[in-house]
Amino acid sequence: MTVELERTDTIWLDEPVDAPPVDDAPVSGAAVDPVDDAPEPPAEDPDVPFRPSSFGPSDRLEMVLAAVSGLAFAWALCLVMDWSHPLTFAIWAIVWFVAGIYVTARARTSKVVAMDRLVTTLIWLSGAFAVAVLGWMIVFVLVEGIGGLVDDLPRGEWIARIGAVALMVAVVAVVRWRVGRREAQGSAGVVTRLLPRLVGSACAVGALVVLLSVINTEFFTSDIAEVGPLDEGGGIYHALIGTLEQITIATVISVPIAILTAIYLHEIKGRLAVPVRFIVDAMSGLPSIVAGLIVFTVWVNTGRGFSGASAGVALAIIMIPIVTRTAEEILRTIDDGLRESALALGAPQWRSVVQVVLPTARAGLITASILGVARAIGETAPVLLTAFGSAVTNYNPFSAPQADLPLFIWGLLREPNEAQIARAWSAAVVLLLLVLVLFITARVIGERGARKRTGR
Amino acid sequence: MSQTTPVPPPPPPVTHAPPPYVAPAVDPTGPVAPPVARPVADPTAPSLWAEPASEAAEPSAPRVGGIRDDQLPGRLDVLHLSQWFNKRKVLERCSLSMEPGEVTALIGPSGCGKSTFLRALNRMHELVPGAELSGQVLLNGVDIYGVDMSPTEVRLRIGMVFQKPNPFPAMSIADNVLAGLGLSGSKTDDPEWLVEQCLRRAGLWTEVKDRLGESGMSLSGGQQQRLCIARSLAVHPDVLLMDEPCSALDPISTRVIEETIRELCHDITIVIVTHNMQQAQRVSDQCAFFLVETLGEPGRIVEHGPTERMYSNPSDPRTLDYVNGRFG
Amino acid sequence: MPDAPAPDGASFEDVPRPIVQSRTFGDRVFRGVSAGAAATCLLIMITTGVFLTWKAFPAISATGPVEFLTGDTWQPDDEAFGVGGLLVNTIMIALTALLIGVPIALGLALFINEYSPARMRPYLTGGVDLLAAIPSLIFGMWGLYALSEPLSGVAEWLASHLNAIPLFRLTEPDVSLTRSTFIAGFVVAIMITPVITSVSRDVMAQVPRVQCEGALGLGGSRWGMIRDVVLPFGKSGIVGSILLGFGRALGETIAVVLVIDLVFQPNLNILEQGSGSISALIATKFGEAQGLEINGLIAAGLALFIMTLIVNLIARAIVNRSKLTG
Repeated sequence: MTVELERTDTIWLDEPVDAPPVDDAPVSGAAVDPVDDAPEPPAEDPDVPFRPSSFGPSDRLEMVLAAVSGLAFAWALCLVMDWSHPLTFAIWAIVWFVAGIYVTARARTSKVVAMDRLVTTLIWLSGAFAVAVLGWMIVFVLVEGIGGLVDDLPRGEWIARIGAVALMVAVVAVVRWRVGRREAQGSAGVVTRLLPRLVGSACAVGALVVLLSVINTEFFTSDIAEVGPLDEGGGIYHALIGTLEQITIATVISVPIAILTAIYLHEIKGRLAVPVRFIVDAMSGLPSIVAGLIVFTVWVNTGRGFSGASAGVALAIIMIPIVTRTAEEILRTIDDGLRESALALGAPQWRSVVQVVLPTARAGLITASILGVARAIGETAPVLLTAFGSAVTNYNPFSAPQADLPLFIWGLLREPNEAQIARAWSAAVVLLLLVLVLFITARVIGERGARKRTGR
Repeated sequence: MSQTTPVPPPPPPVTHAPPPYVAPAVDPTGPVAPPVARPVADPTAPSLWAEPASEAAEPSAPRVGGIRDDQLPGRLDVLHLSQWFNKRKVLERCSLSMEPGEVTALIGPSGCGKSTFLRALNRMHELVPGAELSGQVLLNGVDIYGVDMSPTEVRLRIGMVFQKPNPFPAMSIADNVLAGLGLSGSKTDDPEWLVEQCLRRAGLWTEVKDRLGESGMSLSGGQQQRLCIARSLAVHPDVLLMDEPCSALDPISTRVIEETIRELCHDITIVIVTHNMQQAQRVSDQCAFFLVETLGEPGRIVEHGPTERMYSNPSDPRTLDYVNGRFG
Repeated sequence: MPDAPAPDGASFEDVPRPIVQSRTFGDRVFRGVSAGAAATCLLIMITTGVFLTWKAFPAISATGPVEFLTGDTWQPDDEAFGVGGLLVNTIMIALTALLIGVPIALGLALFINEYSPARMRPYLTGGVDLLAAIPSLIFGMWGLYALSEPLSGVAEWLASHLNAIPLFRLTEPDVSLTRSTFIAGFVVAIMITPVITSVSRDVMAQVPRVQCEGALGLGGSRWGMIRDVVLPFGKSGIVGSILLGFGRALGETIAVVLVIDLVFQPNLNILEQGSGSISALIATKFGEAQGLEINGLIAAGLALFIMTLIVNLIARAIVNRSKLTG
């Protein structure tokens, strides 16, 4: 995680803004009243603020023209040369589009502005590409996997349920809007105030119930120990248990070590600080499979066998540098004045850290830990070498192979069978949603903490 | 100390001024029990606590919280203090005495070592890596840099208020005031009384008495700074060091804090760093003028003495030039 | 020298006196515990190095160190473990990923910092961080099921249009173009993009705003400002971030395993089927490995460990230096 630098948006002018005409007030001659000489402010001038924009109407026109001409050119070229590959079409269209933007801007303005326009376009393209890829991937995973997560219902049933949810969501929205307006007007009796709220919350609960009712509960409550490759049913229960236990073990090991290490690096700044920071850097670049290999070499392969706990240790090795680095960044954002104030009140250092620094950093440290968990929960390579995976539910993390979500997916993906791969996709959706929820939780907590720290 | 304190200038006629300082609701004549149970120092170690048994006429008389001006603790003597940062000498053999019940102002242009000097007075100097010093700082006659002296105990006796107001963000207003107790491991029987007492002395009580549970960060800058003063008062220090406490504040908050300082100096020794000469003239009884004569040289105390004399009839021409605003 | 209060005959010399740091018991415990935690990190890395070396030793000595690093056979029955070809393929995948990922990542970093509307900035930064948090397994699945088809089309196009470039040539006309270095490189490129973006964006954000405004104030265009102020300022940080991405690409396991066919021979025709990486070797062979082959896999892991360690430490050193001097 990085700390956002607060910075102002650069205001960009490349077209002259209609500046108020500069009056040629006489340099000398106090006889002239400057007020009389000043331009009369137009009476109809509405004092509305406007944002100077760098992207004027002519720029927009050029953009559209370039896009249209790019498409037309690529189409014509493909027709003439008898090329049929869509990639060829796309590349020529983009090249012609970018060149068109440069040439029109060059003709209208200067070389410098044209170059700027060109680079702006390229950078927007790369931004759009990255956003599109992220969106594509998330949508692809959801579409592939959502089928296995919901009950197999006839079409009419689906339509009815979706309609019900939509209706209830609409009611909630209307109620919120009405209540908001009423409260803004400040007129409402007890009944008129209470009734819409009751209706609104009832509908919200109803929508949730309907949504939950379509969830395929079997997928979450059974394992695949006795499910043949071609059978219906089976689920991820054993994998969820394994993930939960392994992540808990990893968190319990790594978070205290990581936060204490961050404190050592930033609060104590002891003699080992330089080598430790060096090592933490090295650890954060450790390939995840090597983390698994260490635990395999030291623990599993020395006769103790695969277990969930060893997977927890491997995940902890991955989490420690992530949490340490984020936690150190958080500690760095805390004003040194707070530490000095605590010391000036006669506190020993440990009390200053425990009672002032850590409470102030609490939200950030929680964020750091959650980000570490989000990262570890999807790791496959290290758990492959340590927990190994299993089809049965194994509650005991200290002996025998254990499944977890990534291993479940990994195992099924290697089977040449549509039903198994569909299960893998459904589990992938669950994994993705877990990561998303963890990530968003971390963000929300972190932002609240930052707001609290700065007192806004 | 019963010497004549300079009359503080009358407050400017600001109509929307904050309410005047309200005297604490304590009977000034009756003995007030010290509300803070102090950590018991090692009996063999030299004690910073001015011993009433040996110095004061009434051994059982309470010192702290009461309004007595004949036997105040917190006399601070600096003898030949030199300071270094990474072997670079920044302050050269400064000697100064800060009397109890008086406000001593350290003035001088920027970068002349005033703040460095101040930070040596409660062992904050050594927190900077590469910081060294020589000479002695005596609190009630005991060297605070002595072999058996614990920095935490020194800082408990000599509080400090910083340039930038910095209440602890994770604590409420009341918790901020009591933070020093928790941080130094001491206790009080009546926290509510202590909170009210300290906030009153810092001139903040009337403004915050209805919102003690709110976060300290919700206050304005001037209120935050007074909250920091209240926080320092809660551990009953003998000396309060202030490092340009008003430089980040608006003029109205500055005036309130200056009034607070004038009220507080009846109880404790105050040392204030300021580069605002008018402020030093308004609040201080004694004044010390720091100066770096040539670039790269360490800073020195050019002259010190009663503020009135320093501003009207200084013995050193450089002081005259400085207080008249000819440089700096 | 104005020393008004006489020093009471106290003799003094003007040399620094030792400052006695008498720490409380609590402080000593506190420092001890933190130092212990910090030492744990040291211990983990030392254990890693020592154990991997120790366990790798039988396999390397059976094969011979030179043969181990240059050979391209993996015959556990003959005690022949050569990872030379795999090393080449690992590096080829990582380089392909850099070639595709770096322009996107730097464009994205500039986009977020300089071009995007200020209101969108936190969401874009969050999106990049989220991309970094998405499990590599999901990237691999997506690469396998969503990207293979279109990318083999792209590979076909590259092979037919750009075969002037030796890397894009095919050995035979109708060789399979799926499960190749190119596809693995593309998937890994999407995975390392957030790493490069977030580090380089961080470095670029440290450019003093006054310098940027100075460039704009002189009448420079925004691109001019980026070229003359932002990029020179962030140069070493950007190089460091690229190296960090390289390190990440070298060690990527699952996404690569899913989209390639493992071969031990070096394959420089990156569009053709068959590629490999050390981590893919470990993940693939680990299940049925017995006896000395386990040592061989550990030896391969050791080679990967050392390679990524070197790349990462250089990268970190560059990034940290650029942050300090910047």
